[in-house]
Amino acid sequence: MSAALELDRLSVALRRGGRTVSVLDELSLSIAPGEMQALVGESGSGKSIAALAIMGLLPRRAQVNGSILLDGRELVGLSENDLRDMRGRDVGMIFQNPLSALNPSRTIGWQIAESYRVHHRNAPSAEVTARVHELMRRVRLEPAAERAKQYPHEFSGGMRQRAMIAMALANGPKLLIADEPTTGLDPVVAGEVMDLIGELKRAGMAILFVTHDLSVVERHADRIHVLYAGKSAEWGPAKTVLAAPRHPYTEALLNSVPRLGAERLRGIQGNLPEPEQRPSGCRFRTRCRLAYEACAQIPPATTYQDDTALCWLPLDDAARATIQAEEAVPTAHAVTASRLLTLDRVTVRYERPFGFLAKRAERDQLSEISFTVARGECMGVVGASGSGKSTLGRAVLQMVAYRGEITLGGVSFAGLHGKARSGERRKIQVVFQDPKESLNPRLTVGQSLAEALRLGGMRDRGLIRGRIDELLQSVALPAAIATSIPSGISGGQAQRVAIARALAADPEVIVLDEPTASLDVSTQATLLNLLKDLGSAKGLSYILISHDLAVVSYLADRIMVLQDGKAVEFGSSHAVLHSPATDYTRRLIGAAAQVPVLAQG
Amino acid sequence: MSDHAITIGGPSAALARFFGNRTLVTGVALALFVLLPSFLGGAIYGRDPYLLHLGQQLLAPSAEFPLGTDSLGRDVLALVFDGGRATLVVALPAALVAFIIGLLYGLASAIGPAWLDRVLMRTLDTFLALPSLVVLIFFASMVTLTNSTLVMLIGFLSWPGLARLVRNEAIAQRGRDFVLAAEQLGGGRWYIARVHLIRVMAPILAVNGTFLIGDSIFSLSALSFLGLGVQPPQASWGSLLDSALDIIALDPWWLILGPGVMIFAALLASSLIGQGLNARFGDRS
Repeated sequence: MSAALELDRLSVALRRGGRTVSVLDELSLSIAPGEMQALVGESGSGKSIAALAIMGLLPRRAQVNGSILLDGRELVGLSENDLRDMRGRDVGMIFQNPLSALNPSRTIGWQIAESYRVHHRNAPSAEVTARVHELMRRVRLEPAAERAKQYPHEFSGGMRQRAMIAMALANGPKLLIADEPTTGLDPVVAGEVMDLIGELKRAGMAILFVTHDLSVVERHADRIHVLYAGKSAEWGPAKTVLAAPRHPYTEALLNSVPRLGAERLRGIQGNLPEPEQRPSGCRFRTRCRLAYEACAQIPPATTYQDDTALCWLPLDDAARATIQAEEAVPTAHAVTASRLLTLDRVTVRYERPFGFLAKRAERDQLSEISFTVARGECMGVVGASGSGKSTLGRAVLQMVAYRGEITLGGVSFAGLHGKARSGERRKIQVVFQDPKESLNPRLTVGQSLAEALRLGGMRDRGLIRGRIDELLQSVALPAAIATSIPSGISGGQAQRVAIARALAADPEVIVLDEPTASLDVSTQATLLNLLKDLGSAKGLSYILISHDLAVVSYLADRIMVLQDGKAVEFGSSHAVLHSPATDYTRRLIGAAAQVPVLAQG
Repeated sequence: MSDHAITIGGPSAALARFFGNRTLVTGVALALFVLLPSFLGGAIYGRDPYLLHLGQQLLAPSAEFPLGTDSLGRDVLALVFDGGRATLVVALPAALVAFIIGLLYGLASAIGPAWLDRVLMRTLDTFLALPSLVVLIFFASMVTLTNSTLVMLIGFLSWPGLARLVRNEAIAQRGRDFVLAAEQLGGGRWYIARVHLIRVMAPILAVNGTFLIGDSIFSLSALSFLGLGVQPPQASWGSLLDSALDIIALDPWWLILGPGVMIFAALLASSLIGQGLNARFGDRS
């Protein structure tokens, strides 16, 4: 059987700031027709570089070494013309953000036709139309004739991604490269896109699936290839790698993914080293809990049951069991019975701003939501995008106008104005999704925290400085980070700063609006743990908003499921997860990462 | 991928960055070409621009008069130096006035209540609908023209563009998460504007503030050309062009060359510095 794609010691180096930096180091893998190979790694691992190298889309100055055989043909060293010819015809690619890849001023049908015409210049239009409709039916955009006449804005996120897949398939490629195609989609839609890709695989397509999310890979990939800092760490059959990872990095990565019913997430300490600062020998050793002297040398490849790991001390069953036992620290979560925050029939109506001609549009984004949150309790709010979960958070934060009543510690916001109102508002703080957006890019970390303290009335410089150190310490950041600006720190660090800023106000409630959705899984795990610890140490109440039921179930005592602005399910986390009352919840559960517990329950 | 940290290097790194930006370097060089002669040229050259060299009217450039003489026998080079100073001491403060009005008006519109925004923006539309040069001429004919009235006139007429830009940008920035977080911490409207909005808008403000300088040099030159700017006997670039026009039939090219080149250089400098700053800040965000 000849491979559809064969990479042999593929290396890529880029010029950066006058120096040559290796971003991908001797990657070898091969994918047969009808096989899906997952290339897994966190941001900065080199996984996307590999995909771009295969497509010949790297910047011209990039140095590519090794070999890329596509259906037996060498791609390294091909001219730009030959590469252009190959792109789209022999390899199709789908990207993470389908909206930015689609032209908003052209119909979907036109765009699919265009990708076909590029390689079939003289095809008669009847043939093109037939081909477009056939492709659209294949990706379930039906009825094809009508859908073809629509524009990207008329499509949902999932449909846009399917349109992108249709474009990638237009010329019957043998290889499909999928670069995080489900990231940013809500879980139900992501599941549908994955099923579609799974179907293509069964129809004989070779698929290279680039992702950071092991749970996506779990159900569909045949083989897994884990990259760390530009270098392969472990590769082998998906089932083996996931069930019995042999590289400590793979193991840690797997235990960073929140699963329904998980007690404690592990995460990985530290950050991915910059290419210039990679350690010698094993690149993971500075973050590896098991590292010893030998790890300073380049590790050997060892293979067991077709699973290869580059490690001096590959894990066996006993080692894995030990690691897991060490981590199983049960967390006692005492919820006091006192009611802190109460929502009484809170309704938010969205009114489109109206001009002379536009009609006034009204829609309830949130209708009649009521619940109470006790001191120290975490309330989870789950729903797909557009369900009103973020609006609920903003109502609690008093950022949007609402009907109904919200009281905090017995005080209703309805009767408050001016100073009294902003003082009461300060007791409810917020952590947003996008770490880069939540800090002013022109203020240092220290200035952002000082601002939060000053707005609370703290004036003395010495006091402020001391409190900043304390705050940074409580979110496990070094004091020196105070002088950094947001673009100089990682996403995980920025999110910790955002938490510290929220803590600066001595809040009683923190609204966490998708706090980990933009983070890598290992960072997500450490951040969720931090939130869990802070919550029990300071008796904070959380309202945790997420589309990911697994993330919510990890922290929340109770869960409310929202659909179209209405609460469709509400109960203890255990009850909602184990005996969901609605189909919608069941679908959300189905879309989240699975654990055996659920299969039994 | 290319998410590497900004290195806040020493002065040498800052210089390297500055000289790497050719647009900015050219703009600054042109600005010096305009500023140095206008403020220092007269003192160094040392000739009285208003001395009438009788019998030496309308001489073409020569060793004695590098830019020739005008129809009254005045040294044109000395006039260009002095006229530049007279132009800039009005145009630069006028740009500052326009900048401050535009900034405050735009911010008030962005962070004030919705009714205020509507009132301010409709007022601004009305203002923009009037042809500004005509309005300028109208008011210039009504008041006594001194440097300070000219500063006010030009300043009060050049702010609307900036105001609208500030308003739109501030509204866009106002919804960003860090602004919402500051509100949640108790920050009031003007606090948010001062600490957050102005800071994140700094690049846009710098760029458009620079453009305003070019605009007001142009407005003043146009007014002076029409006889409604800096009043005689004081020369300015615009009035020098105007006096050349009176005797255009005699083809006195040297009368047009000096002020023409300076106005052109000043406008180009403001445009290039603006663009250069834009590129400089652009790769930061």
